[in-house]
Amino acid sequence: MGSITLTNIQKSYGAVHVLHDINLAINEGEFIVFVGPSGCGKSTLLRVIAGLEKVTGGELSINGERVNDVSAADRGLAMVFQSYALYPHMTVRQNLAFGLENAGMPKAEITQRIGEAARMLEIEQYMDRRPGQLSGGQRQRVAIGRAIVRRPTAFLLDEPLSNLDAELRVSTRAEIAALHARLRSTMIYVTHDQVEAMTLANRIVVMRAGRIEQVGTPLDLYNQPANRFVAGFIGAPHMNFIEGALESSNGTHMLRTAQGDVLHLPQSVAPGAPITVGLRPQHISLSNDQSGFAAQVQLVEALGSETVIHASAFGTKLLAIVPGQRRISTGDTIYLSYANAPLHLFDQSGLRIATVQTEDGHSPTFV
Amino acid sequence: MSSPSHTPPRTGQLKPKTDWSSVVLAPVHFIMGLADRPLRLLQKRAGIGGMAAFFLAPNMLIFGVFVLLPIIINLIYSMTGGSALFLSERSFVGTDQYAKLFDCKSYLDPMSCQEDAFWTAVGNTFWFVVLQVTLLILFSLITALILNRELMARSFWRAVFFFPVLLSPVVVGLIWKWILQRQGLLNFALYPMGFEPYTWLSDRTFAFAAAVGVSIWAHMGFYTLILLAGLQAIPKDLYEAAEMDGTKPARIFWRITLPLLMPNLLVVVVLALIRAVQVFDEVFVLTGGGPGTSTLFLTQYIYETGFVSQPRNAGLAAAASILMGLVLVVLTLVQLGIGRKNENKGKR
Ligand SMILES: Nc1ncnc2c1ncn2[C@@H]1O[C@H](COP(=O)(O)OP(=O)(O)OP(=O)(O)O)[C@@H](O)[C@H]1O
Ligand SMILES: [Mg+2]
Repeated sequence: MGSITLTNIQKSYGAVHVLHDINLAINEGEFIVFVGPSGCGKSTLLRVIAGLEKVTGGELSINGERVNDVSAADRGLAMVFQSYALYPHMTVRQNLAFGLENAGMPKAEITQRIGEAARMLEIEQYMDRRPGQLSGGQRQRVAIGRAIVRRPTAFLLDEPLSNLDAELRVSTRAEIAALHARLRSTMIYVTHDQVEAMTLANRIVVMRAGRIEQVGTPLDLYNQPANRFVAGFIGAPHMNFIEGALESSNGTHMLRTAQGDVLHLPQSVAPGAPITVGLRPQHISLSNDQSGFAAQVQLVEALGSETVIHASAFGTKLLAIVPGQRRISTGDTIYLSYANAPLHLFDQSGLRIATVQTEDGHSPTFV
Repeated sequence: MSSPSHTPPRTGQLKPKTDWSSVVLAPVHFIMGLADRPLRLLQKRAGIGGMAAFFLAPNMLIFGVFVLLPIIINLIYSMTGGSALFLSERSFVGTDQYAKLFDCKSYLDPMSCQEDAFWTAVGNTFWFVVLQVTLLILFSLITALILNRELMARSFWRAVFFFPVLLSPVVVGLIWKWILQRQGLLNFALYPMGFEPYTWLSDRTFAFAAAVGVSIWAHMGFYTLILLAGLQAIPKDLYEAAEMDGTKPARIFWRITLPLLMPNLLVVVVLALIRAVQVFDEVFVLTGGGPGTSTLFLTQYIYETGFVSQPRNAGLAAAASILMGLVLVVLTLVQLGIGRKNENKGKR
């Protein structure tokens, strides 16, 4: 129980098309995260699944049954709202009981379910308070509790952590992961925080402008992004992109940028074509000798455990993260290397053509 | 900072646009600048608290002359007798006027009272307040609930319901008089259907109902607007949460909408009560208090006792208006209390 299938889902408000041809199969018990930039349609897609918005095309089915015309209440889903949407005039207990009373559930069972949820979420001592008398984190738990007591087929969560401070967000994130492990129900979780997505998801759905860009496990998306957008969106800080044209001569392959800088590639893919090379900041290392490529340091962020270097090279801004603490300061010229790094090659339309692994000794020559 | 400043045109080049706002504001700045120096001096002398008193003084003066003073004079009048107009020519009678008003064999039967018109007016006003406020709030609430939905031409309907509020009460009274009188619109419309013309406003029950109905029609828009604002302040996601839970519409209304609307509703009820107690102008134009005394209300009684009846009895009218004032004070205190409670709730 708890599989959800979306087939060619469309949603438009009048002339505004918000969702285009969404196809997605969510398995039972899966933790699915929708990520994407603001306004890409994550909330809309979640609300479509919830039944709060009617689709304008396509088919939505839950457990193999078409539910396009089934009301939100009868879909057996529970939603946790970003604003929590707790009833301000009811106590925590009444908030938890409200949905169950609607269904005409016997009092004893309501009490039992509420007690169970309260224990699980450790909100027992607040049961007789109103939402206004709770902290943000406590309210958040109550909102989750209100979903849990209904024992839904699937949980829908729309940016449930976005109103919490950074520390609480990390701990609550872990609790949600634990909750999923315990309940084993399907969860669909919307966020624009890619760290949340990476840590929580079984599979991530990356969306842009109402379309799904890629669906896959967090590491799939990290290691084999389908396109430049996903590559830039997944991973923090985001991937460096160097643009240029492919050249091959005498068995060596390289990318030549507009400035004439050259980046060596272990193999050629499509000679002559303008492409983009993607290189993660974590895969760039400092080279002690001058075998790397030269870069001008623009800003150094010392985080203690690692050092984030903002530099310029290849005619663009480049971000590098190197472990430990380094004596580098703004204005220095340093030598960086991409030895042993995966390079992602994207064609002009942004699609990934290949990911190639560099070896030692591939350093650019300056022409 | 407040001195007028004109940016000189850049050397050699003409600025394509004149900065009109600074031109327009220049005289304002000039006048403000004139007041600057004396105010500064004053503040040095009087201090910040003194300045507050200085700025409040004109308002307090107006309030004192036109509100406070009349109340005091009214109180004094209520303790005098005779038909003379000037206080100096009136005799002091203590609480005689009040005693006269309260001189009844049975308070339930106005006819057993010395001032039977007063008690008739009190009774009429009581029933008017009960009926008018109940129905007014009910209709306003229903209208607000409907207007709060996704509705075709919603702004138009909102305007339609608010429009009567903008009319002068006399106009309201006249409009309905033209509709309800013997040669009025209602009879004109009913005649082709085979109804004989009826003198609606000479029917005691109908006249009272018309008084209630017309005043509801005239004031409903105002209360609808307040309730609508209250409804729109209820977060939409609460309704979505309720929808996800499969809550029935009636239960949504009783358990979510109504409790969350309660602060607004209380304010609206008390405001409506205060205004209903004072009912006068539109009903007076419509029925003149008749037929008989069936739509005679307190304000009309006071007006007629003090200004129309011969001999004029300003003392008795003043006493009656003091009594009515007491009722209004109580209602106002209730309203202020509610307002304060809501404020505290907001702080929590
Ligand atoms: N009722 C509506 N009418 C018209 N357009 C709408 C409506 N609701 C949403 N949209 C549009 O749909 C798009 C997607 O909105 P949605 O709320 O799903 O974005 P989101 O991905 O959740 O963004 P965020 O991360 O900011 O919450 C937006 O461009 C928005 O303007
Ligand atoms: Mg959203």
